[in-house]
Amino acid sequence: MSEPLDIVILGGGTAGWMAAAALVSLIPRTSCRVRLIESEEIGIVGVGEATFPEIRNFNDAIGIDEAEMMRATNAAFKLGIQFVDWGFKGSRYMHPFGVHGPVGMDHIFHHRWLRARRLGLKGDIQDYSFAAQAARDCRFELPETRSTQLDSAYTYAYHFDAGLYAVYLRGLAERRGVVRTEGKVKDVIQDPETGDIRSLLLESGEVISGDLFIDCSGFRSLLLGKTLGVGWEDWSKWLPCDRAFAVPSERDELSPYTRSTAMEAGWRWRIPLQHRTGNGYVFSTSFIDEDEAAASLMRSLETKALAEPRMLKFQAGRRVVNWANNCVAIGLAGGFLEPLESTSIYLIQVAIMHLVPLLPGRRVDPRLRDEFNRLIDLQYERIRDFLILHYKLNSREDAEIWRYCAAMDVPESLTRKIELFRHSAIIERYRDGLFPPTSWLSVFIGQGLIPEGYSPLADTMPGEALVTHMDAFRADILDRVEEMRRHERFIDLYCGAEPAVAPMGAEVRL
Amino acid sequence: MTRRIEQVVIVGADAPAWMAAAAFQRSVSNAGIRVRVIELPTLLQPADAYSALPELAGFHRRVGLEERLLFSLCKAVPIAGQRFSNWSGAAPPFIHGYDRSPPPAAGLGFTQLWTKGRQKGLRTEFENFSLGAMAAKAGRVPATEPGAELHATFGYNLDARAYSALLKHFSTSGGVESKAATIGDVEIEGDRITAIILGDGERVEADLFVDASGPQAVLIGRMAGAEFESWREWLPCDRMLAVSAKALKPLPAFSQISAFRQGWIGLYPLQDRTAVVAAYDSRQISDENMLTDLPALANLPIGGEAIVSGLAQGIRRQTWVGNCVAVGESAFTLEPLDAVQLHIAHYCISQLMTLFPVEAGSFPEAELYDRIIRRAAINLRDFQFAHYKLNRRFDMPLWDGCRDAAPPETLQRKLDVFAARGRIPLYDDETFQEQGWESLFIGHGFMPQSYDPRVDAVPEQEHIALIQARLNDIVGLVEAMPPVDNFIAEADPYRQVETTAPRVGVN
Amino acid sequence: MQQVRDIVVVGGGTAGWMAAAAFAKVFGTQAHSITLVESEEIGTVGVGEATIPPIMQYNAILGIDEDEFVRETNATFKLGIDFIDWRKPGSSYFHPFGLFGANIKGGVGFMNYWLRWVQSGGDPDFRRFIAEGEAARENRFARIPASPDGQLPRLNYAYQFDAATYAAYLRRYAERRGAVRREGKVVDVEQNSETGYIEAVKLADGTRVAGDFFIDCSGFRALLIEGVFKAGFDDWSHWLPNNRAAAVPCERVEDPSPFTRSTARESGWQWRIPLQHRTGNGYVFCDSYLSEDEASQLLLQRLDGKPMADPKILRFTAGKRRLGWVKNCLAVGLSSGFLEPLESTSIHLIQVAIMKLLEFFPMREVNPVLIDMYNREMDQLYDHVRDFIIAHYKVTDRDDTPYWRYCRNMTVPDSLAAKLELFRERGEARMLPGDLFSETSWFAVLYGQGLIPRSYHPIANALSEDELQLALARIGTAIRRRVDSLPSHADFIESCCSARSAATAA
Repeated sequence: MSEPLDIVILGGGTAGWMAAAALVSLIPRTSCRVRLIESEEIGIVGVGEATFPEIRNFNDAIGIDEAEMMRATNAAFKLGIQFVDWGFKGSRYMHPFGVHGPVGMDHIFHHRWLRARRLGLKGDIQDYSFAAQAARDCRFELPETRSTQLDSAYTYAYHFDAGLYAVYLRGLAERRGVVRTEGKVKDVIQDPETGDIRSLLLESGEVISGDLFIDCSGFRSLLLGKTLGVGWEDWSKWLPCDRAFAVPSERDELSPYTRSTAMEAGWRWRIPLQHRTGNGYVFSTSFIDEDEAAASLMRSLETKALAEPRMLKFQAGRRVVNWANNCVAIGLAGGFLEPLESTSIYLIQVAIMHLVPLLPGRRVDPRLRDEFNRLIDLQYERIRDFLILHYKLNSREDAEIWRYCAAMDVPESLTRKIELFRHSAIIERYRDGLFPPTSWLSVFIGQGLIPEGYSPLADTMPGEALVTHMDAFRADILDRVEEMRRHERFIDLYCGAEPAVAPMGAEVRL
Repeated sequence: MTRRIEQVVIVGADAPAWMAAAAFQRSVSNAGIRVRVIELPTLLQPADAYSALPELAGFHRRVGLEERLLFSLCKAVPIAGQRFSNWSGAAPPFIHGYDRSPPPAAGLGFTQLWTKGRQKGLRTEFENFSLGAMAAKAGRVPATEPGAELHATFGYNLDARAYSALLKHFSTSGGVESKAATIGDVEIEGDRITAIILGDGERVEADLFVDASGPQAVLIGRMAGAEFESWREWLPCDRMLAVSAKALKPLPAFSQISAFRQGWIGLYPLQDRTAVVAAYDSRQISDENMLTDLPALANLPIGGEAIVSGLAQGIRRQTWVGNCVAVGESAFTLEPLDAVQLHIAHYCISQLMTLFPVEAGSFPEAELYDRIIRRAAINLRDFQFAHYKLNRRFDMPLWDGCRDAAPPETLQRKLDVFAARGRIPLYDDETFQEQGWESLFIGHGFMPQSYDPRVDAVPEQEHIALIQARLNDIVGLVEAMPPVDNFIAEADPYRQVETTAPRVGVN
Repeated sequence: MQQVRDIVVVGGGTAGWMAAAAFAKVFGTQAHSITLVESEEIGTVGVGEATIPPIMQYNAILGIDEDEFVRETNATFKLGIDFIDWRKPGSSYFHPFGLFGANIKGGVGFMNYWLRWVQSGGDPDFRRFIAEGEAARENRFARIPASPDGQLPRLNYAYQFDAATYAAYLRRYAERRGAVRREGKVVDVEQNSETGYIEAVKLADGTRVAGDFFIDCSGFRALLIEGVFKAGFDDWSHWLPNNRAAAVPCERVEDPSPFTRSTARESGWQWRIPLQHRTGNGYVFCDSYLSEDEASQLLLQRLDGKPMADPKILRFTAGKRRLGWVKNCLAVGLSSGFLEPLESTSIHLIQVAIMKLLEFFPMREVNPVLIDMYNREMDQLYDHVRDFIIAHYKVTDRDDTPYWRYCRNMTVPDSLAAKLELFRERGEARMLPGDLFSETSWFAVLYGQGLIPRSYHPIANALSEDELQLALARIGTAIRRRVDSLPSHADFIESCCSARSAATAA
């Protein structure tokens, strides 16, 4: 029986504890031992408090009970992101976690909508997204699994306190055998020939050796970046924001969506949790200075601030590879994309869930490493392009950042996508990674890009019948949404941080 | 200029042209778009057969063609997979069954559990865990519930001429105009075909020209920027031979693909005959010697003349130029090793429908179409080349050459990751999913060196039980499947045939 | 001691005249004398009328022109033996001369590939892969050399002839070269009182024939080897119970076939040997199961032409003289042993004895080491042939008469039992150097008699199926083409060696 693989995770927070919890839950102790080193002195960023639906797969894989987790993290549900003032002043659209139109028709639906619109159909494309409607109306219920049902046309994610999530996962991980060491790294010992990391020397003098190192040390990227020297690919010319202020405020209306409001030099987030609201301003120092930004944020809060704004510095980009030698970077140590589409925790999760099946033995098989890197490359690039889209696709003249972004050169692949949509309303579909066509559709249309043409395949129905059909569908959605429980009520019943008075019974559909 | 497309002209012959016609008829004729087929002389010989992947059934459903017509008019035989022999010298043959993605076991890919089992001494061949392969072996047709967890499907062997005739009749009676003609000339201005001049002098104009003329590529072949890129550096066969042989009794549920010194020979059972196809490398064997060796290699009584033709495998540098789009083998050509011939046409036509140009006069859709088709083509080419790359026939120039060749990078990665960990990296636009590639690799004796570490979390008893359960499930499902002859009889009740089960009622 | 000069052959017939002719040719009669003593009173057996290919070596040593020899002896050509009803009534198989198939690159014998092919459903008619077998089936024959590419060897064959005419032919040959024939019956033998060596034989008319070396061709009586030296006899009748033969020639009714036929009967077997001018027939049987009269009757009923004489009965015991060579006397022919002519071995055993004697012939005194060697080698040969013949009886499905039930159930020599076991296991018949019957022969007979091997050499599995199929198809086609090029047997004889034309010419 060969010796188990020794895995050392440097850094806690969401990245570190997600990795630890996953490794210890999925792989038996006979195959790997997990150790995590963190220092309470080092602040945890904790910006990523909205998530993406994939997080549920992660929780399921680890065996986390949803309601329990939500209680422990003050979580609420998220059906999408509402974008305000993006593209043009006064815009307000929902990027939903669900398709537009009936299930199974998403290829053709928006073509039909475009045609119907020309024939006089009123309203937004949002009206045809069950998730968007439910979100707008602050409703929530768990979706159906049978794919033909209207109610299966959406999925959901969470808003939660990332700090509490990390704590929750830490509890789980330690219970399952992860060894936590408090400490800061003083030095990194490498193998003189291969450059592989052999051990970490802590300030306490303790030496911790390992076979595989997971760098969750945040922006510092102490292992991958600093020690192994993996270069940085800078994306700031496309994503100019380089700072964020974060400030909690009192609990507000518990809407089941994140709001992102475009500002004078960036954008503001609003994430409602059970116990408070998370707020932040992501901005670019090229277009505003820090003090102004802080002030702007405070001014815009909907409820009373509960603390002083805290600032974070960052740069959009990523490490050229996320796995070099025997070190895998997860989270900020591997790259950063602003939380415009709540992808931070997603990127952490995706790295972990790609790493687990490709977990190397004592000697790292470069084939496994190359495959990991290829998969992560795909993820980063595709998300990056989607984020850039939000910035690029704007016609705001009122602030320099927007003028800059409208004019900037963007990756060729993105230009092609925009032009093709503009011309033919066609959206490319990927096998792996984000984002599905429905997401692109919501941003394109929401930010004002109405295609000049649509597929002739949408012309096969008589026009009147089409409009009637669309109206009926929209009405169906509204009817169904009205039947749904209100989000706050659902939270109370399902996972209220204070236990609900009424026991959960048949009323709650699981 | 935002005029809609009003006139589409399809130029070609046989199944690809009529598939395109049927698809257009179904999707856009109600949208006021006129579709016309310029039917070139057929390339089909009486001995020809089409071997089709299960995906074709989806095409038929979408255009509204009833499956039973295949059995009653096209001598169709349902095919649960293909059996490959002699690719690994004297190693036993394997069947690539047409499985849908098998359900996970203990939350993990079943292949991972099998891999660990094998390392621990499990001797049961991988094939036994493929529902399609086991059905094929037992001569049964997988007709499982679409919603079932364990699910396999079947493709078809079709008489080529009959199938083309059926599609032609279907399209023309649905309203597609057609004219039999030859091409005299093609007028091109820049990247636009302004008109084609038929052999009888008629001038044909259209907003969109669809080249469904097969490898001849009568339209796309004339467009600048659409040069032919050969794949000969990997795929050695450049000749094909087709002939008929005696029907097999009872009808098997698979096609048989056997390698030989200079290529491979396929036996495709039809209801009334067996279609024989050989693909071979003219550098290794002459047409004459191939004809001499044919009876021994086919091991079936041959009837009729064998027709020899050339084969050029490769892809057009661009598959859609201006107002000319290639569908089927005019876009890219591959030997029919994995029954891809009709699928190529099907895939191109599907993509064309999804990317149907919104206006006459400008075609930004072309660029995306071209990228998608190229990706799909490369994935299919890689799948077929993998058979050659993984061969274990030694001391023969063709086989040594293929084994030693550096594979395309896309395939190399699949080989590397599968060898390392039993996973298949899949790209965009893949026809064959994980289970297809696994069946291919493992069938050729290419095994993973390690497995997903999560498998070690499954206790041994449970592991054994899961494997046993999967085996039993498959055995049980196969037992309930109908034998081929019964299936055909049911599919077409009016057909006169001897079945294994007694017929009740009529006569 | 003097040199050996005077050689005396006691007894004529095929054995005696083959010996005399060989000596006359090889030694010549300048420095040696060759005297053959025979009596026309004593009939010669003349049963051995079919031969096997090695006879060509004997003829070659004598420098005999084949066409002349065929003409003179009314011979036909023989490609093998057709065994009918031996496995069970209604069955047949062919034991051909020649090789099975051709070499398939890989290092194991063709029969392994063929066995693999049959086991996976191929056609079990292996005659297709032996040119001699196919030619015989179609009554074709010609002398053809090996194929230019070396793939196929020359067509292998032997002769079927009238043994009496052969003996006469050899007598003319030997006398022309200076051998002397003395008419007379041997009644006494003179030995040297010290050494025991034979010094002379005394004839009935009182004349004395002296010699330095004596070859005993006196038939079953074994006047010298047994009569004088009491060499002893190993009786093999428990393995080979046949002890009688009824022989009768009949008219020729059709073109002669280029093979001998052996048909198993109720208590033995019947031979049919086609010659140019008539057909030779015989019923070899065991008198414990069938009387001589019954056998003769049955034989006559089963002729395909009119009998040309009354059936003649021969009596014999299967077995072997314990010592073939004692002092200055060597037994050749029936005096040295008898094995029924099931595989046409009688003349061959004579030939081998003669060849070996020539090889070991002493200059002066006889060396006991050589005598030992000779006796051991002849023993080996006899045992080998004996085993081969026993195999025909032991390996059978027949149990329809007490005779066959006996044969089927009898124990067999250990050497044969081991061979059968090995063949049953993997179709292999391991050859020792000097063995007469090759792998092909053992394979043809054992397989034909119904012993189907369970497996074969695993190396035969290393070839991929398509290569196997192609190889077999190619060999089959090459053989077919070769056979197609042959004229009919009758036409061939007509074209070069018809006895009739010789008769008219003479």
